[in-house]
Amino acid sequence: MNVLVQTLGFGIVSASIIAVGAMGFTIQFGLTNVLNLSYGATMTVAAFVAYLTEQAGINIWLGMVLGGVAGAVLTIFLGKTVFKLYARRGTRLFEMVMVTLGLGLVIEYSVDIVARDKIYSVSFPQGASFHLGAATLTASQLALVGVGIVIFLALEALLRLTRLGKALRAMAVDPGLARSCGIPTNRIVNATWLISGFLCGVAGVIYVINSLSVDYSTGLLFLPVVLAAAILGGVGSPRGALLASLLLGVVTELVAAAGFSSYSSVAAFGVLVVVLLSKPSGVLNAAARKVELTV
Amino acid sequence: MGHFSFYLSTIVVYFGIDLMAAWALNLQYGYAGVINFAFIVFQAAGAYVAGTVVLGPDTGTNSYQHYILGANLPFPVPLLAAALAGAVLSAVIGLFAVRRIRRDYQAAVMLIVSLILLQVVTSDIHLFNGANGITGIPHPLYTALGFSLSSYQWVYALWVLALCAVLYVIVERLGRSSWGRSLRAIRDQEDAAASLGLNGTLLRLEVFVIGGAIAGLSGGLLVEFIGAWSPGAWGYAETFVIFTALLVGGVGNNRGMLLGTLIVPILVLELPTFLPTIGYPGLIGAIQWIIIGLAWMLFLLLRPRGILPERRFRAPRPLADDTVRSAAARWVARVLTLGRPDMAPRGPRLGAAAGRAPVPDDVPVAGDPAVATARVRQAPSGADEG
Repeated sequence: MNVLVQTLGFGIVSASIIAVGAMGFTIQFGLTNVLNLSYGATMTVAAFVAYLTEQAGINIWLGMVLGGVAGAVLTIFLGKTVFKLYARRGTRLFEMVMVTLGLGLVIEYSVDIVARDKIYSVSFPQGASFHLGAATLTASQLALVGVGIVIFLALEALLRLTRLGKALRAMAVDPGLARSCGIPTNRIVNATWLISGFLCGVAGVIYVINSLSVDYSTGLLFLPVVLAAAILGGVGSPRGALLASLLLGVVTELVAAAGFSSYSSVAAFGVLVVVLLSKPSGVLNAAARKVELTV
Repeated sequence: MGHFSFYLSTIVVYFGIDLMAAWALNLQYGYAGVINFAFIVFQAAGAYVAGTVVLGPDTGTNSYQHYILGANLPFPVPLLAAALAGAVLSAVIGLFAVRRIRRDYQAAVMLIVSLILLQVVTSDIHLFNGANGITGIPHPLYTALGFSLSSYQWVYALWVLALCAVLYVIVERLGRSSWGRSLRAIRDQEDAAASLGLNGTLLRLEVFVIGGAIAGLSGGLLVEFIGAWSPGAWGYAETFVIFTALLVGGVGNNRGMLLGTLIVPILVLELPTFLPTIGYPGLIGAIQWIIIGLAWMLFLLLRPRGILPERRFRAPRPLADDTVRSAAARWVARVLTLGRPDMAPRGPRLGAAAGRAPVPDDVPVAGDPAVATARVRQAPSGADEG
């Protein structure tokens, strides 16, 4: 029983690490329809920014914000240049995925060149241990859970309570109609790149705080589970992404606790497969809903 | 000269194996539109299986490697086992991944498959010896043939090229068959093709399994040549090499694969091993990946159909009787269409009733989905499936 509670605790920590990335991914994909596989590479860039700030002796929480800003800047740059260029040339959805994968490869190995192909270890004090019932978590783990919750609440508030949020939701449903209602779609897309890029950057930093090392493939190791959570949660829904992250986090930790740590990510993937097989709406090749790139 | 011959034979073997992989991927992506970002996994499955079934049972005595499926199978059997492994793994993954889901989702799912399987094989040392991989796989028939190693390399190269020749005939025939036309039909207009009674999911699964078998075979050939296999050989980016070869050479064009394979894996990845190393270890590798990534993006932007684009199947326009009936004109027509009967202009069948539209005997007719597709594709593409 105690093991179960401890596992649940670790699962929630994993979930909050996954959730930030998944929420960023899901709003980006939901609004622009670009299934952006270079998201992992952007996380890597942000993780390196966090590493540099740590080396410079800057507080890690400030480093997290800086990593987020780096992610936002890189994402809006890519959005306004690369993605826009391809979208204008009539690149189709499935070709766009291929473009983003190539872009991810280019970014990733550019980082590799700058980092001289080395793994850098990052040291953060884990802080005191806290006992919550039978679960023992460190201060930094609790802080990560806190960050996850704060970001979720902030994102929900943004989407539900502000004009920008309303515009974002309108555009996710029907970009054409949104434009004809006077919503400045171009600006909304910019806002999407910024918000999702910020979350992507923060996610990269969070991952590093937890794993304590960074190299050029950091984001790539993290990408499968983020993608799985975003797809599982339903595109464009931060709430869904959060729930999916909880499910995936707990499942992976349960499998690891049962002694199959090599297979914990497979278990997460198994959950995704079950969902794909049971045909959720949105994942299907919806002939009824015409999906276009809005970049 | 000896070094050069050794190097050249190695390049020829790699070329042949990459070519097979490119044809397999062309079946899946070029013909059927399945974005298989996990392609390298199926090659790896073939390589691991072909490797372990000749290593002998894992008795636990050699402490440096652990593996499953150990056996002592004679020469051609490991290759068949490799193809089978590729096919079985494809069938398992295909059952959930090539269903009728949006193609960008499908691509993402494939990428996840590739990354996760790599993680599993790397971290579980009981499967295929984890990150260190399996080593010491003997060259097939090396002692039986009794050649020196450099001569053996050329024998192996010829063997690979011979298999390539056989495979070319197979993939071309598959592509031209009604099955191949059905694949193109579901690729371009799934709804229209379905309305003609084609089962898109089943067709995609079939092509996925066939491509997986070829990938497995190519992996088997590769491991028997290099003698070792580890997770370092099948990172997700390796899929990319084959995909870029496909995109550069020409999507849906098997001859284009020759060109693409020559340019991408050979010119960009293999030849630089000739150059003096620069910078720190790993720098050249990183630069190569960036070049491949940029080539890939540029081709998607400027020439998404590749250097040698797919040749379209056209319903032939009947020419006036006397032009086609004369043997010389028929010969010219055959030369111009490179001996492909499906593209040759044909006259009306002998004895066709005057005044009726001529119906060529073995060309696609109106009910054929490829024809329907060819027409639909002319229309401004608004109904893209995504």
